[in-house]
Amino acid sequence: MAVSRRKFLALGAGGAAAAAGLTGCGSRSSLGAADELSMWCWTGSVNDSLIATAEKGIPGAGKKLAMTRIGGDYKTKVLTSLAGKSLVPDIIGINDDVATYFPNADQFHDLRELGADKVEADFLPWKWKLGITPENKMLAFPMDTGPTALFYRRDIFEKAGLPTEPADVAAAAPDWDSYIQLGKKLKQAVPGSAITDNITSIFSYALAQLPKRYMTAAGQYIGDADHIRQAWDLAVRVVKEGLSANAQSGSTDANAVVTNGKLVAFIGAVWWAQLGPKNAAPKTKGLWRVTPAPGGPGNRGGSFLAITKYCKDPEAAFAFITWLESAKNQAESFLDPVLFPSTPASYTDSRLTAPDPFFGGQRIVDVFAESAKKYPGAYFSPYDTIIGNPLSNELVNVEIGSKSSDQAWKDAQHQITRELTRAGAI
Amino acid sequence: MSANTPDGPPNRFRQAMPQYAAVSPFFILFAIFGAFPVLFSIWLSLHSWDGIGQLKWVGLEQYSYLLTDPSFWKSITNTLLIWVISTVPMLLLALVIANALHNATRFRSFYRIAYFIPNITSVVAVTMVFGSIFSNNFGLLNAFLQSIGLDKIEWLSQPWGIKIAIASIVAWRWTGYNAIIFLAGLQAISSDIYEAAKVDGASSRQMFWRITVPLLRPVILFTAVTSTIGGLQIFTESQVLFGSSGAIGGPGDGGLTIVSYLYDSAFGKNQFGYGAAIGWALFILIVLFSVINWRLIGGGDDDRITSRVRRRANRKIAAEKAAADSQTAGKEHADAH
Repeated sequence: MAVSRRKFLALGAGGAAAAAGLTGCGSRSSLGAADELSMWCWTGSVNDSLIATAEKGIPGAGKKLAMTRIGGDYKTKVLTSLAGKSLVPDIIGINDDVATYFPNADQFHDLRELGADKVEADFLPWKWKLGITPENKMLAFPMDTGPTALFYRRDIFEKAGLPTEPADVAAAAPDWDSYIQLGKKLKQAVPGSAITDNITSIFSYALAQLPKRYMTAAGQYIGDADHIRQAWDLAVRVVKEGLSANAQSGSTDANAVVTNGKLVAFIGAVWWAQLGPKNAAPKTKGLWRVTPAPGGPGNRGGSFLAITKYCKDPEAAFAFITWLESAKNQAESFLDPVLFPSTPASYTDSRLTAPDPFFGGQRIVDVFAESAKKYPGAYFSPYDTIIGNPLSNELVNVEIGSKSSDQAWKDAQHQITRELTRAGAI
Repeated sequence: MSANTPDGPPNRFRQAMPQYAAVSPFFILFAIFGAFPVLFSIWLSLHSWDGIGQLKWVGLEQYSYLLTDPSFWKSITNTLLIWVISTVPMLLLALVIANALHNATRFRSFYRIAYFIPNITSVVAVTMVFGSIFSNNFGLLNAFLQSIGLDKIEWLSQPWGIKIAIASIVAWRWTGYNAIIFLAGLQAISSDIYEAAKVDGASSRQMFWRITVPLLRPVILFTAVTSTIGGLQIFTESQVLFGSSGAIGGPGDGGLTIVSYLYDSAFGKNQFGYGAAIGWALFILIVLFSVINWRLIGGGDDDRITSRVRRRANRKIAAEKAAADSQTAGKEHADAH
């Protein structure tokens, strides 16, 4: 296309004006028109039909919702907008790394000041607590959760002569020890069978069952204590027993072990049902079952909503998030995009209790609801990612055979100490 | 003001205003989106910042941490190893392909397009395909190795396997691109030289090494420098192969490159100041390697060629002179008798 001189000048002037507009704006404002509440979330974090309703008018708030689904690098975009201090969305979705926002709690509204206490009783207590900073400020409002359970292939268990019904399997493997024995029998009967895709899965899910993690709420580092070392040793043991498929997370192998039936049992969070067997192995429909996980209830994943301090109408925003996360609407979000509610009242909703044909008509929600209700809850610190990464990286080194368990543990602790010192955490 | 005084010299700046205004959009946009971020990253690298709160001045602490950070040094070694095992075979292969393309008589455009296609294919898609080729348990490559009776190799777990996998993605993607650049260089060489060489009885091999390669040196320098800059910035390959969360460099950090470490520090751990410091370390490294390249392949190109030619000419003259001397000496000797 030929660009005429006039057009070129117009383009240039437009570009310059746009650039001036971007830099010249120093006002602290929120994104969107005055009669709108702007919200950012990543794809697949909210139910689309609920959002469509709110886009026409938020029930009981007198405003409309302007929702943006951010693809890729969600957190970076949120941080960029917060750092710019202008055109910040009124409401943002936050993932399970909610604690990394705690040091900057002043950027958000304290939801208690907006009346959050009134709805507290509707939510799982441990989930509610995760959004509250050690300074007792409520920064984030619960969305979905990620209760864990044991997924297993009924047909393979039958072949191996093991119990097949969920209750019997749970009785046969109440703890990790008996589960490993069960895994060994599986492997004997059906060679190549694995009970985990890789070493870090075992570590993460064992950690997800514990009442404490890497730091105390007072800021003391406990990632080198016995409870972490026990989860570590357990993961190493599963690998040494030959029960891991050695398919590192993020690799194509991780899906392949589900597709080709190598992974016959897996302790996973509720969202794994969709990401794992339903997506990777649709042909195994009807063969899977779910039962309480050996080692007890746990939680991995789940997300939150927060209202930024730039919000033009905090009351309306709060009215919106309480509506969106009500027990009734969370039940709707379970159907699509399969988010497990943080409101116990949803667990008896007919939309959740419908038998799942993929799991042979089992009411899988009962298993996950039990796990969600009984999960002890643990404190997540702002530094959990910095601490967790070296540990899982070093575990991989153990699985691929490049380091001994003790050496890997030592290296991980050394790196964590360095990182935490630099971050000013210890 | 001088424009208002009738007898003052004309204001040259004022006269040139329309021209400045016309070229200003680029400079304004560059200042905002190019120069400012670059300068800000220097400022940022002297601070500690989590992306939201206040910048905290730490001086050169980020840099001193960088120098004692084993992960950083590992990322440099990884990057250099991947760079060597991708660039050297890539440029050699590209030269061979370019030569073949140059001499091809049929379907030339088809071949050119065919060799260029890998370069315009999305690197993410390419990496995903290579991921399933190199995949440890169910990869195509391991299936092939096992079918011919060899043991499978854990490409995506072992440090060397990871580097070879990444290097082959890089090489696959850029070989055709460099071949096209070489081809352009080849076509600029006058056919007279080749004809003259043919007349003198040079073999095709001699012509390649004695004519093509020396005359292509500026082009080889260009590809070497761009491949170095590209090679030091390898990122997408390891990111797509190993995912962005947690172990960004893959098992044992075998595929941790400088840029992936930068990305992980800034956007994974939200240590933006440290990320900026890594960025500047990378900048220094690229400058260093570009200079080394320049010295090795092209440095003082004219000087070196002319001096070599001069030496050769001097030798020839000296030899001729010696021959002539001995001849005349012989003649004189004969005359004397």
